[in-house]
Amino acid sequence: MKKISIHKGRGKRTEAFKSWLIMLPGLVLMTFFVWEPLLESVRMSLYKTENVELVEFIGLKNFISVIGKTNFTQALINTFSYTFWSLIIGFLLPIVLAMLIGETVRGKGFFRTAAYLPNMLPGLAVIILWSAFFSGGESGVLNILLSKIGIPKQTYLTEANLVIPIIITVATWKGAGATALIYMAAMASVNTELYEAAAIDGANVWQRVIHILLPSIKKLAGTLLILQIISVFQIMYEPMVLTKGGPDNASLSLMQLMWQYAFGGSMDYGKASAVAVIVTAILLVMTAIYSYFNRKESDWD
Amino acid sequence: MAKKRLQHTGVIRDYDMHSLPVRIGYAFIYVLCFIMVIFAVFPLIWVILAGFKDLKEFMSSTKIMPNAFNFGLFLKTWSQLDLAKNYLNSLISVAGSVVCALIFNGLLGYGLSILKPRGYKLVKRLVMLSLLVPATISIVPLFMNIQRLGMGNSFLPLWLSYGANAMYVVLFIQFFESLPQSMIEASRIDGCTPIQTFFHIVLPLSKPICAVVAIFAINAAWSDFLLPYLVLRGGPLQTVMVRLFVFSTEQTVNADTMMRSVVFSMIPPIILFILFQKQLTENSVSVGIKG
Repeated sequence: MKKISIHKGRGKRTEAFKSWLIMLPGLVLMTFFVWEPLLESVRMSLYKTENVELVEFIGLKNFISVIGKTNFTQALINTFSYTFWSLIIGFLLPIVLAMLIGETVRGKGFFRTAAYLPNMLPGLAVIILWSAFFSGGESGVLNILLSKIGIPKQTYLTEANLVIPIIITVATWKGAGATALIYMAAMASVNTELYEAAAIDGANVWQRVIHILLPSIKKLAGTLLILQIISVFQIMYEPMVLTKGGPDNASLSLMQLMWQYAFGGSMDYGKASAVAVIVTAILLVMTAIYSYFNRKESDWD
Repeated sequence: MAKKRLQHTGVIRDYDMHSLPVRIGYAFIYVLCFIMVIFAVFPLIWVILAGFKDLKEFMSSTKIMPNAFNFGLFLKTWSQLDLAKNYLNSLISVAGSVVCALIFNGLLGYGLSILKPRGYKLVKRLVMLSLLVPATISIVPLFMNIQRLGMGNSFLPLWLSYGANAMYVVLFIQFFESLPQSMIEASRIDGCTPIQTFFHIVLPLSKPICAVVAIFAINAAWSDFLLPYLVLRGGPLQTVMVRLFVFSTEQTVNADTMMRSVVFSMIPPIILFILFQKQLTENSVSVGIKG
């Protein structure tokens, strides 16, 4: 013990210097690719831009002009709508899947593998695949399948009320299985003696689910919920590829609006940054609310 | 295998199986699980089947199965779109990204979990915070930075971007913290410099986490298309995913060709999945919880 402390004392400063040197490349990259662009987007949102140059400080004009357009209101409402639908469709499904797969004895590995498979496929390829699925004509896969049970053909991606739930369904198809595996790990860590004890006390299977299994994933579910909201709030390429934001902006998301400003021809990076800053601000507020409630809850515990 | 008695490990215990309602419920669980499998696998099978249809059949057929399994269509798409070139580009892009992901995130994780020089806590907190920050949100200024440095139409910024991944850093930190600290301390006493300790002690013990990060990075780099599109668009270095993105936004190819391109883009991830399904389904767990 003594030796260590002597050694540590001797080369402390050079050792710290060397340590920082080792981390330096990673820190430079983190700065260049993550931290600086974040701050830069705040700065850029306050400037008039021309190509990659910041031309003139214009205060909040970018924000005013972006928010003033009707497509912003539409995109804001849509983005909340995406979040709402993802909670309806995508939040409980992984929990249910995890409960089901967790109970199986034979074939558990097979079910896990199948559940995880869609998550491995490239997101873009998945979206294009599903666009053919939902294509409105007679050769659209869903129409083929539904015609077998006598449902007449529908157009899906041109229905303003359907596009957002459909896009969320596609995203859920890709992600739910992987999330289910996370829940499965948490469920598997429950001490099985609890089930035994509850059974001896006369609790049936359903009561054990309600009083032992579900409480065991409560905290994890809270964390995954906020992560899900954060990720759905930035939904962008899914509507971009599947519907191009249509019909009539009915599926336009905020991040997609940002992309349109930046890369949709006008190259208005200042306005694009303004949208990015607004999205970041909303996400920060939501994260803060979550951690506030989370803290309160753990105080009660 | 058949002789080994399998035990119920979930909420349902062995003795519950004596009750008829539980047994019916249990059978129902299996039915639902198989439905899940069909849902998960069917779209993938469908797109492969759709690849065997030519444009006319694809647009008009009301059957799932193709009329004939004509591999010539796949070959035609492959050569027509010159996908071999894009595949090669993708491979180069993925290879560099994995190397960067391992080295830079690994070293940063090493510093933040084992070396812990003064002030490391602030950096660690910044890395943790970056986990919550969406990557796409700063894509505009990032793209501008890349342009300013004249790194457009090059793989370099794409490779290096994988060296700055907060999730991988956190994975490394968690793993390194679980290593026996006494071994690291011992090597320090023996006079190893931090970098020697890293290569002689830490790295040999870290094969599992390196494999996990590598698999994730391979898949992420292969599937990535937003930044690659901005950096590589129009140039000779376009990857498979960039091509696919261009096809989908500009509608320059027919629907049937599109489906075959989708199939081609899925082949490497599927191979990766088949090879490493165990690591993937077991480790997604730790990633997800912490991510």
